[in-house]
Amino acid sequence: MPARFSILQIGKVLFAPGEVFNAIAAESPSAGRVFFRGALWLGLLPPLFAYFGTMEFGWRLGVEPVYLPQETVLAICVIYFAALLIGFLSSAIIARWMAATYDASQSLGRCLALMAIVGAPLAVGSIVHLYPHVFLNVLVLVPVLIWCMYLLYRGLPVVLGTGPNRGMLMASALIAYLLVALVSLLGIMVALWGSGIGPRIGT
Amino acid sequence: MTAGVYVAAELVWPTIDWGLPALSFGRLRTAHTTLVLFGFGVSALIGTAFYSVQRTSHVRLFAPGLAWAVFYAWQAAIVLGAVSILAGWNAGKEYAELEWPFDLAITAAWVGFAIVFFGTIAKRKVDAIYISNWFYGALIIVVAMLHIVNSLALPVTAGKSYSLFAGAQDAVVQWWYGHNAVGFLLTGGFLGMLYYFLPKQSEQPIWSYRLSIIAFWAFVYTYIWAGPHHLHYHAVPEWLQSLGMVMSLILLAPSWATLVNGIMTVSGAAGKLKTDPALKFIVLALAFYGLATFEGPMLAIKSVNVFSHFTEWTIGHVHSGALGWNALITFGTFYFLVPRLAGAPLYSARLANIHFWLALGGTILYALAMWGAGVSQGVLWLSLDELGEVRFSFNDVMAAMRPYYLLRFLAGLMFLAGAVLMAWNLARTVAGRRTILVAPPAIVGAGAPA
Repeated sequence: MPARFSILQIGKVLFAPGEVFNAIAAESPSAGRVFFRGALWLGLLPPLFAYFGTMEFGWRLGVEPVYLPQETVLAICVIYFAALLIGFLSSAIIARWMAATYDASQSLGRCLALMAIVGAPLAVGSIVHLYPHVFLNVLVLVPVLIWCMYLLYRGLPVVLGTGPNRGMLMASALIAYLLVALVSLLGIMVALWGSGIGPRIGT
Repeated sequence: MTAGVYVAAELVWPTIDWGLPALSFGRLRTAHTTLVLFGFGVSALIGTAFYSVQRTSHVRLFAPGLAWAVFYAWQAAIVLGAVSILAGWNAGKEYAELEWPFDLAITAAWVGFAIVFFGTIAKRKVDAIYISNWFYGALIIVVAMLHIVNSLALPVTAGKSYSLFAGAQDAVVQWWYGHNAVGFLLTGGFLGMLYYFLPKQSEQPIWSYRLSIIAFWAFVYTYIWAGPHHLHYHAVPEWLQSLGMVMSLILLAPSWATLVNGIMTVSGAAGKLKTDPALKFIVLALAFYGLATFEGPMLAIKSVNVFSHFTEWTIGHVHSGALGWNALITFGTFYFLVPRLAGAPLYSARLANIHFWLALGGTILYALAMWGAGVSQGVLWLSLDELGEVRFSFNDVMAAMRPYYLLRFLAGLMFLAGAVLMAWNLARTVAGRRTILVAPPAIVGAGAPA
């Protein structure tokens, strides 16, 4: 009997990703379980770290720190959380939509679980938000992001039950979507800054 | 690319121009863009156009002697042009810095390219003109139009001329040229390459031929209007800026129609991935094509552009397109084409795989470094103090960018190292062999890629 899907199991990804992938493929967890027992809580980590880091140290952009009023920081963190959840859910839905083309499993639970596992290192790595020095964050999160990509390429064929070659193609197609989602996050962010939710800037 | 890596290093260690004007950032950066755009990009496009137009038209090239003349003229014009830029000649137009003698030489070579290409199409043995040839044809016609209009100038001496346009009019013409060079050369031209080499390499027909035709016409119609998005909040009419923004947003539809077509075409070729290192390059090129064609319209939105303009974000965007899309698809095409031209297998598939990871890692690192730098710069440029004055000086902001520039330099070095590996791999593949001659393929079905 494989372990049931939970946040603890996601923690295991850091040490034994292969086992976790096999367990999910065997269990085929329900979408609700993945979301409420794992992804939701993982998604809370980055905004929480960002909130405390920004309040304590301000944004460090290489010159003197930029401090923001508490309500602005709170608004940014709530929107950050919402954007992460939307990104997570939309990636899983896109994966399910793509699955038919690549003969992969169309179970929403499995797609959500895959995305939760792929995103887990980023959620844990976001601990670096506690000190919001942008370059430090880039330095830490770039290798973490590479690790996430590795998990996607390695995990997708197992979790969604398709061959390694089709898995590679599907993972690449998903990377296209994830890159777009990432850059959308930047676009949404600066559009919010321009409309007053962000640092004091003259636009 | 080497020049690009060197100018990236100059931004980290500004004194490594050693006081030589030829190595100053202004000249070397211009040489970098000219050599990459016209030396690498256009050479790859002319070469692949001459190859694929013969295969898809089922005939030999029209006027092969002229094709050789185009080759020599183009290489000579670009090499001498780069030397002239290093010597300080500059027409003062971005991506069109070459002075008038080179503009004339380029025009002559381009006319030769057009005669050979359209001459071959004219004597084709099938009715349909295959989709890749539509894109290559649009490249030839539109780039000719852009180059001639944008380069109109009054020569004063051999090395100096003055543009016929001035002020806001000059800016509009400049970006009508600049953005459509991106559109019809770096996007449209390379889509021609994609539409021939992707089905060939994956041994699959195009997923939807009809979609490719619709996307072509929508693409051609829309792109030509998008240039003014480079001039948001500048001294050009407001309606022109809004038109540029709207057309840039509409452009997403035809761009992504092609993306879907490409991804669906390659989705059936899973079996080939293991044996064919070239296919990986094309698959990843499609992912970056998707990114760049989404990011472009997003940056064209005025409320995003007010923040991103004059930051490294723009440079990151250009390079996720130029490295991730243009260079990766060209590398994939080289790995496909060179062994076939030499009649020998690729010297080392392992080296090609190492190249793949270096290219992918370099591109991602480049984009991430520039996103970090761009967003920081955006905040810093626009930050106001309690009195409503600009809070940080130009010097402060540039000093804060140094770590990102170092990261970008390393990313460029990785990418360049991969390209050097490829050059060696391909040189070993063709060493001691002559180009093999094959007859144009027999007709197996109208319009099918041969």
